[in-house]
Amino acid sequence: MKDLDFNADKVLAKEFLSNFADATGEAKYMNILQDVANHKIRAVQIDLEDLFNYKDLDEEFLRRVTENTRRYIGIFAGAIDELLPEPTEAFPDDDHDILMTQRAEDGTNNADGSDPHQKMPPEIKRYYEVYIRAPSKGRAFTIREVKASYIGQLVKISGIVTRCSDVKPLMQVAVYTCEECGYEIYQDVTARVFMPLFECPSKRCSVNKTKGNLILQLRASKFLKFQEAKIQELAEHVPKGHIPRSMTVHFRGELTRKVAPGDVVELSGIFLPIPYTGFRAMRAGLVADTYLEAMSVTHFKKKYEEYELRGDEEEQIARLAEDGDIYNKLARSLAPEIYGHEDVKKALLLLLVGAPHRKLKDGMKIRGDLHICLMGDPGVAKSQLLKHIINVAPRGVYTTGRGSSGVGLTAAVQKDPVTNEMVLEGGALVLADMGICAIDEFDKMDESDRTAIHEVMEQQTVSIAKAGITTSLNARTALLAAANPAWGRYDLRRTPAENINLPPALLSRFDLLWLILDRADMDSDLEMARHVVYVHQNKESPALGFTPLEPSVLRAYISAARRLSPYVPKELEEYIATAYSSIRQEEAKSNTPHSYTTVRTLLSILRISAALARLRFSETVAQSDVDEALRLMQMSKFSLYSDDRQKSGLDAISDIYSILRDEAARANKMDVSYAHALNWISRKGYGEAQLKECLEEYAALNVWQIHPHTFDIRFIDA
Amino acid sequence: MGGPPYDCLANPLGAVRLTFEKAIGSGTQTHPSAFDGKDWGALDVFRHFLFQESGLSQVPILNPKTMRWVRPYTLVRYRGMIQDMLGNEIYAGAYKDGYLWRTNKFMDISQYPMGSSPDMCVWERRLLYCVPVPGQSSWTEPSCEMNLNQGMDQSSQNRGKRRRMDDEDDPMDVVHDDEVKSSPTTKKMREDGFPFSSPESRDSKTGSSCTSMATFQYVDKDYLPCLVKIYDSPESELKLNDVVEFIGVLSFDSELALEKDDELSNNFYDDALVYLPPNKLQVPRLHCIIHRKLAVHDFLQGFPIMEPKPHLVKEIREALFRHLTAVLGNDGVAAHFMLLHLLSKVHARAFDVFVGKLSLNLIGLSKESVSVFGIRLSQAVKNLLPFTHCIPLTLEYLNTASLAPKRDYQTNRLIRGVLQLPEGSHLMVDETQLESGTLNSKGIENTKLLKNLVEFQKVEYDFQYCKMEMAADVQLLIFSEGKSNIVPADVVIPFQPSSLGSSEIPVAEAVEAWRWYLATVQSLPYSIGSEMQKEVEDDLVAARQADRSLGSQDFNRWMTMARLVSTSFGETSLSMEHWQMVKELERLRMERLK
Repeated sequence: MKDLDFNADKVLAKEFLSNFADATGEAKYMNILQDVANHKIRAVQIDLEDLFNYKDLDEEFLRRVTENTRRYIGIFAGAIDELLPEPTEAFPDDDHDILMTQRAEDGTNNADGSDPHQKMPPEIKRYYEVYIRAPSKGRAFTIREVKASYIGQLVKISGIVTRCSDVKPLMQVAVYTCEECGYEIYQDVTARVFMPLFECPSKRCSVNKTKGNLILQLRASKFLKFQEAKIQELAEHVPKGHIPRSMTVHFRGELTRKVAPGDVVELSGIFLPIPYTGFRAMRAGLVADTYLEAMSVTHFKKKYEEYELRGDEEEQIARLAEDGDIYNKLARSLAPEIYGHEDVKKALLLLLVGAPHRKLKDGMKIRGDLHICLMGDPGVAKSQLLKHIINVAPRGVYTTGRGSSGVGLTAAVQKDPVTNEMVLEGGALVLADMGICAIDEFDKMDESDRTAIHEVMEQQTVSIAKAGITTSLNARTALLAAANPAWGRYDLRRTPAENINLPPALLSRFDLLWLILDRADMDSDLEMARHVVYVHQNKESPALGFTPLEPSVLRAYISAARRLSPYVPKELEEYIATAYSSIRQEEAKSNTPHSYTTVRTLLSILRISAALARLRFSETVAQSDVDEALRLMQMSKFSLYSDDRQKSGLDAISDIYSILRDEAARANKMDVSYAHALNWISRKGYGEAQLKECLEEYAALNVWQIHPHTFDIRFIDA
Repeated sequence: MGGPPYDCLANPLGAVRLTFEKAIGSGTQTHPSAFDGKDWGALDVFRHFLFQESGLSQVPILNPKTMRWVRPYTLVRYRGMIQDMLGNEIYAGAYKDGYLWRTNKFMDISQYPMGSSPDMCVWERRLLYCVPVPGQSSWTEPSCEMNLNQGMDQSSQNRGKRRRMDDEDDPMDVVHDDEVKSSPTTKKMREDGFPFSSPESRDSKTGSSCTSMATFQYVDKDYLPCLVKIYDSPESELKLNDVVEFIGVLSFDSELALEKDDELSNNFYDDALVYLPPNKLQVPRLHCIIHRKLAVHDFLQGFPIMEPKPHLVKEIREALFRHLTAVLGNDGVAAHFMLLHLLSKVHARAFDVFVGKLSLNLIGLSKESVSVFGIRLSQAVKNLLPFTHCIPLTLEYLNTASLAPKRDYQTNRLIRGVLQLPEGSHLMVDETQLESGTLNSKGIENTKLLKNLVEFQKVEYDFQYCKMEMAADVQLLIFSEGKSNIVPADVVIPFQPSSLGSSEIPVAEAVEAWRWYLATVQSLPYSIGSEMQKEVEDDLVAARQADRSLGSQDFNRWMTMARLVSTSFGETSLSMEHWQMVKELERLRMERLK
């Protein structure tokens, strides 16, 4: 009865294979089969997704395939046997084919048909292997979630490969010849161990009672490539207080050599028990080990460009993109536990997004990666910010200026102890190619690395000319550096240049430079005291006041944003040029120039603007982007020269505006009462007159509306 | 319900079988697959037996001594720490034997022949590898007599001797052992063969012997790991490093001949990377029926559990304080801090704030004074706290010891490191023996681990392809000459003993009371009234305005101290008086630091 069932399913499988047409209308599987017939490929991958999209979908059939996958591989293989077209191209015969033709001739001669051992098993004739692949959509299981009830089913799991065996041959069909009757005897091998046959079971031998001696023919037997590996749960999937589980995976045929230890992979495969044999079966009693018979392997892509969005993520991103406040929201979701530093976080967000690389006609490249340097007193959470960014970035390397190995930051030539050959080993910057490299203790960097880093930051390559090796390695990385001031703590009596212990040539390569100071400020002290007391009282961190976005959502959003490459429209060119020249002018006027405004600055402005446009999912840079870029650059400068804030730099009016706007954003309100506003600005040392002036000026710009009597502020939603 | 027709203690499997048959039989012929490995009523029977009929005390505790006489397939208890989690095991849970359904739950080998019948339910169970709690003080052993006085006398004589005493064994047992067996072999095995006894015994010589083989070298007669199979509890209930009492069915194969054979096939299979069934481990297996997490209270004997009445608490506090002062050579300030330190425990973690941790660094100790005070103090701590450890911070130790647990992918096991400790452990670090020299990469790794532990209360477990941070709750006491930078403690206090003060031996009842006090007071609830909160906030801001070098760490320390001072008096909210006391203590400490 069951047999009938399977025969019917074979018909279904046949229909599916011959009739399925993919999105372009091509008969996908028939094309594959043609290639198989021409000996071009070996693997026939049947996508369950295709089965699902098949026009004559039989739900029951799909369910049966998923739940009894191993059986259905055989059914599909049988179907393919019947469908396989004639080869259309000539291919050189290998000995396998010669053997097959000979067998085919023999078969007609002496087949008495009745003996199962003499019937050639279909496996030996097959040139191809059949794999059934789980749909790529849907979340993969963690190893923990694969329970006993999944035995025999097709499951999809993700994990990291921890061990791999060598690839070994595994016998699939053992072929013997009988010394007496000369027949070929076949034996199907399904397990990893098998009991060889010793006596010829053929009719002739049994009739003659000769007990023909069988000789195993290695040449004629069919072997499969076989590899065993162990995968382990990913650290992020392990519940707190538990340790990662692991699972054995068997790779066969074409799937071997696909993984190496350390790879993060997504596998689909059949969850199967290992039957114990012989003595072990007795000892093991009731337990069975399980393994995963791999059906497909997908490596996790660690680059933004190859980041695949999952179904729900696309929607979520679309929803987020519509939100006007996405820039602030994303920035706040970076390291939400670290209080404040809004502008720094915004800058870091832009670092993650980056600008498109440009390649000029003459071959010159202009980098799109933003470089940021955070400088500040010890204990202002610089390192935590760095580590968080690395966590969010799909490809990030965290290192310290001192480096952790002899390779250092750039690259090193080392002598291989075994072969005595010189080998090139990439340092952190090379490893972070196409990603982000966070360097803590940037100021304590080795002198040799520091020279090399000039090249990395502008040309984005590492050149090596050592020990007979001259080469240049790509290091297209965004650099995020954190440095301590020259004397451990920032000394306010000295000039910033003295405090920053880095040469100007290096500093000018950073797009943004932030100084995070531990300021003596009643407000922040009280904030800190409150925080500590709150935690001790309530045993938890105070509520953030907003729900930060998950790092995975951030990553997805950023990867989506990075696909765009916005350009600067003609109208804006003039605007940017004016802004740039005015900065130069200002600098020329001032008798103590703080900054080194160069063409690099102009490029920085463009880069930051482009990154901002990317965040808005816009193909063109808008004026608001340029304004925000200029504002960030200003703010970064003022973080360095804050003492001069009142004197030169940001005028009181704009400062008041930014205070009000930041506070309103923090409270997530559009309305600010006058009393509150006065309160906020008076803490920063401004008077009521200045506030009034500011209110009027910005009301004229239509940034906010002022209530005629109470002077309450209402921001106009941009 | 009449008296049960089976003996839960001697034949627990009979009880399981009966309840199974009852569950199958009752109602409309329940198919066993409906249970899906879940409980069918057996647990209630055992719970009733253990807790209502107070059968718990009759259940023998599995340890090297009882191992000799407990019979397999009886009910036993095992107390230990979950050291490794070996994943799930799939077993044939129920099968049809002819017309009858049989179950294999709580069994390794089926009692009835199991044909290859298609009627079989596949269930799963979780495997936990448990070891005796590292650093367990001898007073927590339930069966042994209190050998307190004897222990203290001997230990104060010399360090080497103490080392032997403090091994996890009971001194009585050693004597007993020696009578039976030739003592040299036993001793040798314990000292050289096994790396997981208390860390003092693993000095530089044995420290490096923590190889991959070691985890299962079950040679030590005094060290009994156990493989526990968990059936009916959600995964989230049992965590790594939990100290748990498992009550279940013991099964242990003494068929050593078979094991040998298995070993051979292992080697053969290891090459092929086959996952080895943990059955080959030469450890007893316990099919857990009921488990419960153990708190310090469960280790206290002879002291009645009672309400922490204020006057009683104050009395005990006074006595304990006097004892600590005497131990610390009449240094009252240090004794105050020591008391707070003994009460410290991580209550909550919030990003970078750890509520309740208070590690202590006694500075001004030299090699000589450590041999007096350090030993006296460590003895006192051992007497008071259930799980204590001591690390001699020598250069060689740092360079060779494996502090972090590490996953070995050859054997697929987690190899225990010194810092794999259960919650509530106490760790003493003796830095006075450290001399200048070079650290190798392992040494750097180890110092980083120690620093992380003391600052963030977490240990990074090495899984080779990734590092996993595990939360820890280990309070550290550091002895050093100057302020320790390797293990930067929350509180640094110069130690100024005024007299050698022969530490009198406290009476056993008093010690019991102190243990009870520490355990009870530690878990008292605590809050800060809103008025007090305001007061404290203002104080903190004022302090920071006056001294810019103060940071959130200092604030945290004060808040933690405030909590500990309050609870040490048995009070559950902060009062002005205690806040003042905190400030006074800090002032005295600062004065000393100058």
